[in-house]
Amino acid sequence: MLLLVLAPKAWHRLSHLKPPALVWTPGGKAGHVRCRLLSRQGPGDTGRQSRPQGPGLGTRLLITALFGAGLGGAWLAARAEKEQRRQQQRTEALRQAAVGQGDFSLLDHQGQARCKADFRGQWVLMYFGFTHCPDICPDELEKLVQVVRKLEAEPGLPPVQPVFITVDPERDTVAAMARYVQDFHPRLLGLTGSAEQVAQVSRSYRVYYSAGPKDEDQDYIVDHSIAIYLLSPDGLFTDYYSRARSAEQIADSVRRHMAAFRSVLH
Amino acid sequence: MAAPSMKERQACWGARDEYWKCLDENTEDASQCKKLRSSFESSCPQQWIKYFDKRRDYLKFKEKFEAGQFQPSKPTVKS
Repeated sequence: MLLLVLAPKAWHRLSHLKPPALVWTPGGKAGHVRCRLLSRQGPGDTGRQSRPQGPGLGTRLLITALFGAGLGGAWLAARAEKEQRRQQQRTEALRQAAVGQGDFSLLDHQGQARCKADFRGQWVLMYFGFTHCPDICPDELEKLVQVVRKLEAEPGLPPVQPVFITVDPERDTVAAMARYVQDFHPRLLGLTGSAEQVAQVSRSYRVYYSAGPKDEDQDYIVDHSIAIYLLSPDGLFTDYYSRARSAEQIADSVRRHMAAFRSVLH
Repeated sequence: MAAPSMKERQACWGARDEYWKCLDENTEDASQCKKLRSSFESSCPQQWIKYFDKRRDYLKFKEKFEAGQFQPSKPTVKS
């Protein structure tokens, strides 16, 4: 396609070069000789082949093709180099994001300190909620662990770590998280921390939360965004799933991400 | 106050569903469902009851809205 576009232009340029070439070759008399030849030939004469015409059609085509191929090749090489540079920059940006972005410092439900780097090499499904949540969080967590069970049952797939992060640090202590997560999945990891640590991780993942008014039992509901996040083994945010997605749909999506995954880290 | 356990949650949801079913069957007449209401109230934290009551209102509204039966109230004319 490229050659087709370039060839006419290249030929146009070549044809500009032709007249001086004609003048030089037959010792400066080319113009004159040519006129005489023309006058001798009859009007019906089609003997074009006998006239000095410069390079023949085959040669012209060859030059055009070579010239076009050269230009095309150079253009392709430049484009490939540019694409490679762009890819390198992108990989570098992803690498930095993999390490820095969405990092957190929290405690798991056994009291161990956890940060994002601890999950490197694992696929992570992450949900934000609170243990006093009336219906949505338990439903979503149940869905999340269903996805994990589905994927666990398929041989050859890498393991997925289910993670639950609280947005209610005031009530969701390490012990409260331990009590809560055991009902869902043996590997579900509950993460909590100070008000600041929870605010920081929620900001990183663009999770909104706001505690409602307390009643006489000091009980309250925390309004918060509902989404399940998928992190790749590089620790990069890879996808998110709203409440409307079923466990089967999420499992399909995770499988696709696993199949397409190429690490950007060394 | 500790959060309800999985068992307690399920008991609460069960009592809520029974009560809601009664309301469905009695065209939202709560006086017909007093027994189930008190069972619902004793099975769930108070905060959840408030939440589920609001949630039912919302779900009913949504149902009506999606069925195309919802008529927005006419704007009040300013005198």
